[in-house]
Amino acid sequence: MVSSMDEKVVAVIMVGGPTKGTRFRPLSLNIPKPLFPIAGQPMVHHPISACKRIPNLAQIYLVGFYEEREFALYVSAISNELKVPVRYLREDKPHGSAGGLYHFRNLIMEDDPSHIFLLNCDVCCSFPLPEMLEAHRKYGGIGTLLVIKVSPESASQFGELVADPVTNELLHYTEKPETFVSDRINCGVYVFTPDIFTAIRDVSSQTKDTGKSATLRRVSSVEALQPATRNSTDFVRLDQDILSPLAGKKQLYTYETMDFWEQIKSPGMSLRCSELYLSQFRLTSPQVLASGDGTKSAIVTGDVFIHPSAKVHPTAKIGPNVSISANARVGPGVRLISCIILDDVEIMENAVVTNAIVGWKSSIGRWSRAEGVYNSKLGVTILGDSVAVEDEVVVTSSIVLPNKTLNVSVQDEIIL
Amino acid sequence: MKALILVGGFGTRLRPLTLSFPKPLVDFANKPMILHQIEALKAVGVDEVVLAINYQPEVMLNFLKDFEAKLEIKITCSQETEPMGTAGPLALARDKLVDGSGEPFFVLNSDVISEYPLREMIEFHKAHGGEASIMVTKVDEPSKYGVVVMEETTGKVEKFVEKPKLYVGNKINAGIYLLNPSVLDKIELRPTSIEKETFPKIAAAQGLYAMVLPGFWMDIGQPKDYITGLRLYLDSLRKKSPGKLTTGAHIVGNVLVDETAKIGEGCLIGPDVAIGPGCVVESGVRLSRCTVMRGVRIKKHACVSSSIIGWHSTVGQWARIENMTILGEDVHVGDEIYTNGGVVLPHKEIKSNILKPEIVM
Repeated sequence: MVSSMDEKVVAVIMVGGPTKGTRFRPLSLNIPKPLFPIAGQPMVHHPISACKRIPNLAQIYLVGFYEEREFALYVSAISNELKVPVRYLREDKPHGSAGGLYHFRNLIMEDDPSHIFLLNCDVCCSFPLPEMLEAHRKYGGIGTLLVIKVSPESASQFGELVADPVTNELLHYTEKPETFVSDRINCGVYVFTPDIFTAIRDVSSQTKDTGKSATLRRVSSVEALQPATRNSTDFVRLDQDILSPLAGKKQLYTYETMDFWEQIKSPGMSLRCSELYLSQFRLTSPQVLASGDGTKSAIVTGDVFIHPSAKVHPTAKIGPNVSISANARVGPGVRLISCIILDDVEIMENAVVTNAIVGWKSSIGRWSRAEGVYNSKLGVTILGDSVAVEDEVVVTSSIVLPNKTLNVSVQDEIIL
Repeated sequence: MKALILVGGFGTRLRPLTLSFPKPLVDFANKPMILHQIEALKAVGVDEVVLAINYQPEVMLNFLKDFEAKLEIKITCSQETEPMGTAGPLALARDKLVDGSGEPFFVLNSDVISEYPLREMIEFHKAHGGEASIMVTKVDEPSKYGVVVMEETTGKVEKFVEKPKLYVGNKINAGIYLLNPSVLDKIELRPTSIEKETFPKIAAAQGLYAMVLPGFWMDIGQPKDYITGLRLYLDSLRKKSPGKLTTGAHIVGNVLVDETAKIGEGCLIGPDVAIGPGCVVESGVRLSRCTVMRGVRIKKHACVSSSIIGWHSTVGQWARIENMTILGEDVHVGDEIYTNGGVVLPHKEIKSNILKPEIVM
């Protein structure tokens, strides 16, 4: 019998593509969403470093539609830094969430892994991957899903599922139901055995036979015109085509996390998730966080990340929940609360930034104020790259696209 | 002869169109904006055009290679590393503009569309013998702009007045200049305004003359003016080369349809419509006062007015698009959807109505 010491594990992280995730605009206009910094590190860094904790991890694949060159630099740097091979694989066309995994099965199986993790890049959680693997081995199924309990009202935004309280078997799964099914939802983190490829192949040959998808659906004329990917053997969705049909057949199991979980779909969520990861650093690696009392360095309150190359004036007060990226300059008397300050930003004297994301190379003038209001129509304030907010201007709950200058105050506006 | 086209910056006012292409390459009347100007310059014997840009030179340069070959004109770029204002770029491109022949060179502003009476401008320039000639155009509301105060008969410019509060004249700078190389000696290599610094100097020395632009003029740097500009352009095309316009039982007023576009039965197209290459307009469609860019499909029974439909987008069956709706590249409006002034960023699907003007990211 092969001991678990020899069994290798491969992790696959789905990163999406430029035409998906338009909800992350305007931040995704100039950078792929997976590379947007959350708590001082690119979004995809968090699942990647979580994968590092898996025993016998052989390889990490990032799968998506972005051009190879957008990930080339990052992948080479992170492989070096974490000493684990990370490779970006580009999908030539949409294959669906399970189809993508199937499409690259030969590469994935090259290392002869006993288990394959599948993660979504825009999930923010504690990634209890070693624990999931152990639980999965005990269950003996072909896959285990990470699940979490949420409020009944919010559950319908996700995949709702029912699990057996004793065996943890997945009994029922339904994607974004209209009526309440369960308050346990699918976190978008899975571990599979290589049998999953057989399951995906069986599903796609089934749809080929019947020639139509499982549910009757009015096909809009736009969809009818798309090349017939949706009904071909190439396009397989994990949720509807694999999880739902296999539920209740003693093949799929669940592992529940009691920690935090969020999806980073909008820029406002990136701020919230930054806060969650910063507070996690407080527990796992507090040396990464900043501190200061106003004497030699700025006053820091709560969880704050300041890149070593950033310059923050000692009379500024930073935090809680602030991330300051490389080469940013924060001037005297500045107050930063709950914000992400990206590379090369300049914040001048006495300015205030709260509930906002300030894009690369932007500048915030003296006594000006960038403020977001979470529950308002536009939410947190987002300034794209190279936005200049002039002195004494107030920007409230607004979104400003790159390369604009604001010389009058704005509220609840999108500035194209 | 040489020419400089001031292309400048990011074209943020023409977003979402400029999120897909740099502004000079955004199509106007089925041709990239800058091509209108380059063709007009070529027609009067300009053999080299310099583009003063500070944004996305790689994208521009690829397109320019195509134009260079087709038009047999040399096109080069002069890249600003910091914004140089309206005169600085001339100093920056000095080496390319001065060829020792002493001939004057043209300077055009890339946002402007007009009839480009450049031959008449050359005659005017020779006749007055001054250092610089500038085109001016008459407007209804001069205080929105910089007014050029000039002697009516000779055209000699006395002064420039920026956004005057009281009426001083109704002619404004049309953004088309013809300058002697000696003008470059008066421009320092730093961010400079041609209206505030350079021209006043030349006017004081009695060397600046203004010619009133015959025909239409429009600054098409923003969507509202782009749509008005198309009407003026097509009007002018009707007078000068009516053969280029499309005719037929289903056509009303001035309409320009690319020869590779297909139009179905029972449509009513026009007035003031431009339909780009590869477009498919299915049967029963009504289009008026709109621009349909390359590769767009407009499905049956849809109705589009006063809007711009961006490259490779689709408009669903029975959809109604009106009132300054601007669809970026690859936007798909569902069947039966109504959009009233929606401004939609690229790569979106519109599945619910947009009842009042709003930006969809």
